[in-house]
Amino acid sequence: MKIHLDSILNVPVSDPDDSRRRRLLNILMFGAVIAAVAGLAAIILDSFTTQSFTNSERQLVIAGLVLTTLGVVAIYYVNRRVSGQWAALLYLLLLTFIFTFSDQPQQLANGRSLFVYTIPIAVSSLILFPLASFIFAALSSIIIVALASSVSIPPNPIAIIGFFMLALVSWLSARSLDQALRELRTINLDLDQAVTERTQALAESLKRERIEAGRNQAILNSIADGVVVFDRKWNAILANPALKSMLDLPIELIVNKNFRELIEHPRLSPRSRGLLYAMMEHDTQPPSFRIEWGRKTLSISAAQVYDNSKESNTNLGTVTVFRDFTREAEVEKLKSTFVAIVSHELRTPLNAILGYAEMFKESVYGPMNEKQINMSERIMKNTQRLLGLINDLLDQAQMEAGKLTVQMAPLKPAELLENIHGVMDQSVHEKGLRLTSEIEDNLPEILNGDAARLQQILVNLVNNGVKFTDHGTVHVRLFCPHTGRWGIEVSDTGHGIPESELPYIFDTFRQVDGAATRAHGGFGLGLSIVKQLVNLMNGEIKVKSKVDRGSTFTITLPLVTQEADMEKWRNL
Amino acid sequence: MSELALIVEDDEDLANIFAEALRSVGFEVELAADGQSAQERLKKGVAPFLILLDMHVPHISGGDLLTNVIKKDERLAKAIVIITTADARMGEAYTELADFVMIKPISFIQLRDLTSRLKPKK
Repeated sequence: MKIHLDSILNVPVSDPDDSRRRRLLNILMFGAVIAAVAGLAAIILDSFTTQSFTNSERQLVIAGLVLTTLGVVAIYYVNRRVSGQWAALLYLLLLTFIFTFSDQPQQLANGRSLFVYTIPIAVSSLILFPLASFIFAALSSIIIVALASSVSIPPNPIAIIGFFMLALVSWLSARSLDQALRELRTINLDLDQAVTERTQALAESLKRERIEAGRNQAILNSIADGVVVFDRKWNAILANPALKSMLDLPIELIVNKNFRELIEHPRLSPRSRGLLYAMMEHDTQPPSFRIEWGRKTLSISAAQVYDNSKESNTNLGTVTVFRDFTREAEVEKLKSTFVAIVSHELRTPLNAILGYAEMFKESVYGPMNEKQINMSERIMKNTQRLLGLINDLLDQAQMEAGKLTVQMAPLKPAELLENIHGVMDQSVHEKGLRLTSEIEDNLPEILNGDAARLQQILVNLVNNGVKFTDHGTVHVRLFCPHTGRWGIEVSDTGHGIPESELPYIFDTFRQVDGAATRAHGGFGLGLSIVKQLVNLMNGEIKVKSKVDRGSTFTITLPLVTQEADMEKWRNL
Repeated sequence: MSELALIVEDDEDLANIFAEALRSVGFEVELAADGQSAQERLKKGVAPFLILLDMHVPHISGGDLLTNVIKKDERLAKAIVIITTADARMGEAYTELADFVMIKPISFIQLRDLTSRLKPKK
């Protein structure tokens, strides 16, 4: 019902002011039609009952009411189809016209019906435009003056003033209504705009988020690495399918569980358990490490996630990536086993060659002449060299397999120097060089270190110096650069290393100037092993060199003298 | 009569070289190519002054021979035991078990000089 009424009353136009006015006009016309119908009903009822109207009066009233109804229908059409303004004007004129003939002229000019003219004046400012009330005040004034003169009575100036006062009030109220509505509309428009923008932004960010989340999920689901994300308390909040298949565990046993439950799983080896607990407990961890999960070897790298947006830099949790390392670990193990076996098998016959050559040299089976002794010495020397190379390869293989460990024990730095002289003096002397050494006073007499490995470092460095020096000295210095460190420095007066080659000299199987390999022997493993040993000892190695001026290798190592420090070392 | 040295070494050439080194300083030398024959000989009553023991020999390892036979035989309580091994890392652990540990490659001269110092002066 209401909808039907609305569809009759509303005029579908885009301008809200126009629409409002036209709807108001329709309501007024609707009221006028109802009034006309009621009037008709009253007149017809009167003709059967009291008969207070004469026949001619009754005809006039009926004609007026029918005319009103027809006029309203016509104006409704105009209002709906043509123009609200014209319709409003026509309606007001129609009203004025009908009012003018609705009573006796004297009553209209200055009597009981004078008030009817206030209706178009008040309504016009609402349905036409605010100032229209003055036009209808003027029109009504002219009509009542004309009506007064037609019946020869004086016009009513009070009524005219009243008309204009009403017009003024109507104008003011219509104008303020208009203004208020306009402001309201502006506010509404702004609000609509803001809501639209917000909605759009929200929709876009939701869409972006969904795309981003979808992409991340796709990456997580499709990568071969197992990923698990822990919160600050090591509860797993997310794990991908790869992890599930890697660990061969249902996802419910991983996600929403504390990491400790996973660590206590029987498939994990005790050593791996220790490593994982260490990862949980320490803020600083090695970048990656390996664990044994059943028959699998898994490489784990963990990265802590920090909230950088705030200054507090709080730890949000940890992202842990598991990689199946089983095959690689097997290959590595095979490789290092192979190298170890080969090296061992190579060393035994070399030992025999060395021994027999020594027996020749020592004239075990009867006297030898000088040339024969010389030849035996050459066999011995070359065998030693071959043994040295095999030892390097074995060390390298062990280091790659992670089997080489540092064993700390108290040692005397002076003994290191004595030993290096014992091992190297002869070959230094044979090449016409000098090997000198010194210990700085501030170095403790006893410190902790792996004597065998330190010896190996010194032999490699001195050997290297001798190899690339034709004239002059190889100098070894043990020193204390500052508290908590001690150092080894080996310098020579040899060929030096071109600056362009300096960054690579610690690389495996690399020698400065490829051709030199044959001239000097060796695989180029010596310095690489030194560097790796120094790293194992938590030390640093640096090299300074100038072509034809010689090279200086400087190693600094943590100085461990206290028993407490020793404990720390043992636990490494 | 010169002192007896027992060499337990499975590599024939090394055994030969070690034997020559020891003979050259005046030891009388017996060779055992595996742990089994070394054990038999020791049980038969051979009481060497010095035992040169390779840790990796067939049948009975040098380690077992050391703990189960040599250390339990009172007659061998005074015998000087020199362990020979190719494993440099294990060498450090072996120092507890024997008087000397020699890491292979073992030089003829080195062995000769060491044993000559160990041999009692007449």
